[in-house]
Amino acid sequence: MATIPVLRLSGSFNRQLSTLFGRQLGTTSAPIQRTHTNKKDDNVLKSTSSALVPYRNQSTDVAPAPEKKPYSPFQGPFSSKAEYALTRLDDLLNWGRKSSMWPMTFGLACCAVEMMHFAGPRYDMDRFGVVFRASPRQSDVLIVAGTLTNKMAPALRKIYDQMPEPRWVISMGSCANGGGYYHYSYAVVRGCDRVIPVDIYVPGCPPTAEALLYGVLQLQKKIKRMSTMQIWYRK
Amino acid sequence: MSLLQKFANIGKVIKQNNGIVGTYLKLFRIDAFKWGDLVGEDKYGNKYYQNNYYFYGRNRWVEFPLSVGHDYDASQIPAEWHRWLQYICDEPPSQLPLPKRKWMADHVENLSGTDRCYVPYSTTRPKIEAWVPPKRNS
Repeated sequence: MATIPVLRLSGSFNRQLSTLFGRQLGTTSAPIQRTHTNKKDDNVLKSTSSALVPYRNQSTDVAPAPEKKPYSPFQGPFSSKAEYALTRLDDLLNWGRKSSMWPMTFGLACCAVEMMHFAGPRYDMDRFGVVFRASPRQSDVLIVAGTLTNKMAPALRKIYDQMPEPRWVISMGSCANGGGYYHYSYAVVRGCDRVIPVDIYVPGCPPTAEALLYGVLQLQKKIKRMSTMQIWYRK
Repeated sequence: MSLLQKFANIGKVIKQNNGIVGTYLKLFRIDAFKWGDLVGEDKYGNKYYQNNYYFYGRNRWVEFPLSVGHDYDASQIPAEWHRWLQYICDEPPSQLPLPKRKWMADHVENLSGTDRCYVPYSTTRPKIEAWVPPKRNS
């Protein structure tokens, strides 16, 4: 019983959340706790942040935008020369990965038509190094385009398992994101993230080819931040 | 168009981008090998260009500032310039500013993947609640 006051002292609840939840606060299962309490940071974050959990990424907080932003997201301080070398290697690796993403075509419904437009000459995915590869063993990205039914779910999982690491998943359209129009159907998986982990969600019903292109560019940004070598070194 | 004119155009591109090195850097950063007239600039530092020598659909373009580096994004273009850039209107907002209503919100770029991204939270009661043992009257 002595643990309860200790827990209460160690983590204070988010003030914004508590006003939202009101008296229901006691029933929320996931209390948001602050790791740091700094008055100055608090005011800055409150004025700029739209997120309810501004402290989640505090350890990886980025500095305000400099005059000229460098290409690499990994800007020191480095503890050793080896770490510096590995960040540059990471940059090279990420550059290679992000500029030749081969998506596995997984067209399930009408979203697949928009995915074909993305491959066509107007939106021209080839200029980003994105080429469709009809084999899971040689592809990096899985674009789930359309309604994922219960019958198709094991096949999707199998294809995902066959893809080599590193692999990414783009969930395209409302149906793949969360069931969409068929959310209440007995035959449909309510979102493909119930079966496989998803990196990018592209909203829309169906999303335009332009929206899918934007999703691919967002995925490129995400890949650029990967720190494979650095994690290997730290291990 | 003669071959001579094409070479002259290449010269114009190189001249506008401050020499061969500047042209290469621009080509490396934004994949643009173009010359054109500066139509306007917005408060984020994006520069908008137009040149009707290029065909419709390519004759208007934007160059993002160096402060965003390689991480530029279509969502960094504010609405009034998007209007011009996507051929919804012909007059750029630098020539014909739109009326500013008090309900108009300021432009926000896509914050996904940054520390200021939107994080959803549940507004419903949890389905499982812990059992609170009744207190014994002693």
